[in-house]
Amino acid sequence: MPDVAADSSASASGGALVPFVPDTEIAVVYPLHHGLKPPITRVSISWARGNNLRVSLLRNPPYNSDSDGEIGGKVVEVNLDSGAADVREPVQWRRIAYGSVTPFALLQSRKNSASSLSKLQSSPSPFHLDWWEHVMEYSKDIKELLGNPKSNYDPLIEDPKEVLKKGEEPTSLKAAWELMEMFYADKLCQSWLPERLVDWLADYDCLLSGDQPTVHSKLVEFQGTLVTLQVIEDDPKYWEVISSALAIGWLEIVVKLLRLHGSYQLDQLGHRETENGLVETVAVLISMMPRFRPELKNGKLGECFEAKPDFMKAWEKWREQITKLDSSAFWVPCHHRQTREGLKNLIQIMLGNTKILCTATAHWIELYISHFLFIRPFTAGLEGMYNLAQKCVQMKPMSSPHKLLRLIIGIIGENTEVVLAECSRGFGPWMVAHAIELLTARSDQADILLHKEHDDIGGISMEELHRLVYAQVLTSHFLTWQIAPVYLTSCMKQGMSLLEFLLYRQPAQHNQLLLKNLEICRLYELDHVSSNIMKIAGVYHWKHGRKGLGVFWLQQARDEFLLNKIARHLFDSVGKSISSESFKQWEGLIELLGSESKPAGSLEFLHKYRDFKKSLQQACDKKTLDAARHAADSLMSLMKNPSTPQRFWLPLLYDSLTLLTWPGRPLLNVSQTNLLLNKLQELSMASMRPGFVATDLPAEALNSVRLALATNLGRAILEEQ
Amino acid sequence: MEKSVATLDEGTTCTSWNYCGQRLATGSFNGFLSIFDSPDPASSSFTATSKIRIHEGGIVKIVWIPPEYGDAVACICNDGSLSLWEEIAEDGQPLQWKLCETFHSKGSTVLEAQFGVIRTSLKMVVAYSDGHAKVYELLDPFELKNWQLQAEIQNVIDSVSTFGKASCFSASISWNPQLNESQEPSFVLGFNSDTPQLNSSKVWVFDQAHHRWIPVAELALPLDKSDQVFAVAWAPNIGRAYELIAVATHKGITIWHVRLNPDLDGRLSLEKAALLSGYEGEVWQMEWDMSGMTLATSGTDGMVRLWQSNLNGAWLEQAAFEPTS
Repeated sequence: MPDVAADSSASASGGALVPFVPDTEIAVVYPLHHGLKPPITRVSISWARGNNLRVSLLRNPPYNSDSDGEIGGKVVEVNLDSGAADVREPVQWRRIAYGSVTPFALLQSRKNSASSLSKLQSSPSPFHLDWWEHVMEYSKDIKELLGNPKSNYDPLIEDPKEVLKKGEEPTSLKAAWELMEMFYADKLCQSWLPERLVDWLADYDCLLSGDQPTVHSKLVEFQGTLVTLQVIEDDPKYWEVISSALAIGWLEIVVKLLRLHGSYQLDQLGHRETENGLVETVAVLISMMPRFRPELKNGKLGECFEAKPDFMKAWEKWREQITKLDSSAFWVPCHHRQTREGLKNLIQIMLGNTKILCTATAHWIELYISHFLFIRPFTAGLEGMYNLAQKCVQMKPMSSPHKLLRLIIGIIGENTEVVLAECSRGFGPWMVAHAIELLTARSDQADILLHKEHDDIGGISMEELHRLVYAQVLTSHFLTWQIAPVYLTSCMKQGMSLLEFLLYRQPAQHNQLLLKNLEICRLYELDHVSSNIMKIAGVYHWKHGRKGLGVFWLQQARDEFLLNKIARHLFDSVGKSISSESFKQWEGLIELLGSESKPAGSLEFLHKYRDFKKSLQQACDKKTLDAARHAADSLMSLMKNPSTPQRFWLPLLYDSLTLLTWPGRPLLNVSQTNLLLNKLQELSMASMRPGFVATDLPAEALNSVRLALATNLGRAILEEQ
Repeated sequence: MEKSVATLDEGTTCTSWNYCGQRLATGSFNGFLSIFDSPDPASSSFTATSKIRIHEGGIVKIVWIPPEYGDAVACICNDGSLSLWEEIAEDGQPLQWKLCETFHSKGSTVLEAQFGVIRTSLKMVVAYSDGHAKVYELLDPFELKNWQLQAEIQNVIDSVSTFGKASCFSASISWNPQLNESQEPSFVLGFNSDTPQLNSSKVWVFDQAHHRWIPVAELALPLDKSDQVFAVAWAPNIGRAYELIAVATHKGITIWHVRLNPDLDGRLSLEKAALLSGYEGEVWQMEWDMSGMTLATSGTDGMVRLWQSNLNGAWLEQAAFEPTS
């Protein structure tokens, strides 16, 4: 249900299984639009592929056949989930779904080989040590699918007045993924997590502007008015956005904005020299801000220090310089009040004045980030981060926190279950199924939690459950069901059975789909499923008039039972005069049946019968003695063969009347004729017994055959003498 | 969120989708059977491709025959008859829907019929208004007219119980949708009747050794045994150690855990896992999704509801849909 996943107020997640919905929660009621004239008297339901539910809505049948000219009902299909939040375009969603298959499968196969390797070695495998690196490789591949990295505040050189770069809106899906990556998988950034969060907010602050403004939204608004401002430094907004940007560490924007200050203009430099000197000093101090991190991206301001003592030293020195500037005598000759106050404000921010930081920021997360930058640059450990977050939330409470913020709280609160629930609720089944790999990358505790088998839901683990849920989403669409097996086969306990159900429910009558289906069966060694599918296809084609194709698929299925049944059906044509066209079809079927499968003796008889029929036809057509002799030989071989069912003796002989009364000379000798007469005798005896199956030949058939044989015997005796 | 996939004719009384959701059969109050198809498997727009009149009266219910036996439907009509119709191309003739067989029963009407595929045979359970159910077996997979009566059962757990002439209003049957052929065939049957003993849902299993159907479990607590059953649904099992069966009565929907390994008395172990309430009135239909994790229901209140269990095994209503024009 696409709307559900995106709507943060809808707490029940619809199709997705969310473990932490309190029992008291009332299910959300969604309207189901049908456009029918009420009343609806009957609602019937049926599951279609995956999470699609088809609902038939029926109106009352007209009484006394009085039609009111309305349609009688509608069938509507409801899709119960969207797969991934924020991805509204089906094409975009499919790109992500298909793109994540290879990284996922690669990681699974690495996991399998790692576990088999660790089983072989009693000591911890060296492989285990760098597992997180494999996860990071996987994470990088996935991240690429979610959009290109883009900083919103890259200044453009071309336009000095454009402080915010316009670009593609980042997705919250990617924002969430990055959070999971930095906290759970990326071992390298653990020592500078606060600074990583600063970068994260720089990229995704724009997502948080909803009902509440953010620094980003303030900047966007200011950007709009920038061109119309004559004296920029007179506008309080100017100083406000500068301090906001500084508070969350967007140093490039701050410096760029400061240099838009009027005192930089050539015509004013002369009489505003001190003022300009102060602005520039602040700008230089800002651009020299020491950062406790290994590196900064190109174009980013600040000086990086990886070692704590180096950073401390630089930080102290930087703060000293700021304090010195704060108490400098140059402020006195600066007559522009707004500039003086604005710059002093910036200095307070840099000195870590909580009150001013609180005013400069909008969301608690912005305040949180400002603490990392200016008050507690050494915050380490999740506990410390969590306590600080609590404090910031108290200072800036929110009525309905954004899903990304809920996720952050879950992560730093070290509650894996909450993280999973938030992922599922806010970002959809795709996110959970894939982010589980990040969660378990370095944490044994999460690993245990996710692999614990839950008896109450049939003994599966959360990891498997979330993969199954995601696989269901994939099967919901015709273009993505083919990749569901990758996820299903990664579920040891219940995935294979679900795959079997899935394959069984694919339409078998479409050849392309059937081949795809069989290919999947072959790949995962599901022979019993593929034979069932081929059986369905075989019966379908047989019954829909494509008998050859039917036999072909039944043979592929090696369904001896049904092939035997078909052979018996073909028996029914024995002895009947069939047209040459249907004989050809019949002959073709026997040919097909004979090529591989050999059910009992019945097929042997059918083959012999086909040869006989052919030669008989030739004898009738050509009327040559040779052809007739050949046909007579075929007849004898059939009649002598024990596999020829007794019920066909008379039809065979009746068919061969032309041979028995062949003009010119008899085709059968005395002993052959005697054998046939004996068979007739045997048949007459058998007809007395119960259970004898009478043929539907004309009543005079037996007599005509008898007469023909007697005549033939007479002629044969004469000839042999 | 929702999209229309088919528009139905005036007077449509019932609908039924085939195994893969690619064909829709509908029945009407004046006896027409319509078949809807989509142009290709990727499309979800269905239009009527054939329409035949199969009965003078109305069609009450349509059930597709499992795909291993071709494209065929069983239609229950309002006179209580059951007829099987098959789409077939006989020698040299174009494809058409043909009547295979009609089942009549003296003095009673057919209420419900369901098919189960067991190994290489097709079985059909038909429930009648007199409280009896008959199990038929198809003799020749290519001939849907050759059925053999395998058993006639009365929906009671204790074969010696006696009661007068029963009058049933509706019946519900659900086969165990197993793909695994190692299990014995089984189904669950419940009645909505005036005879308390017949009502409660019983699990019937085929006893291969004695070649007979035996009731192995009764899905009702002692106080609820006479409750009329409106619907039953046996969930697909993709790996649980137990089976999930949903039973709807006027008290709500009960979810049962049934372990198919019988104890010494031959009875299965049962556990009532949940009682789902929320319905005012009667449940019409219950359908499990492919994974057996989500139960969809519809009922007289016109709502469609979705139920799921959380990780603690508590069953909750996850969402509901209310039809609006």
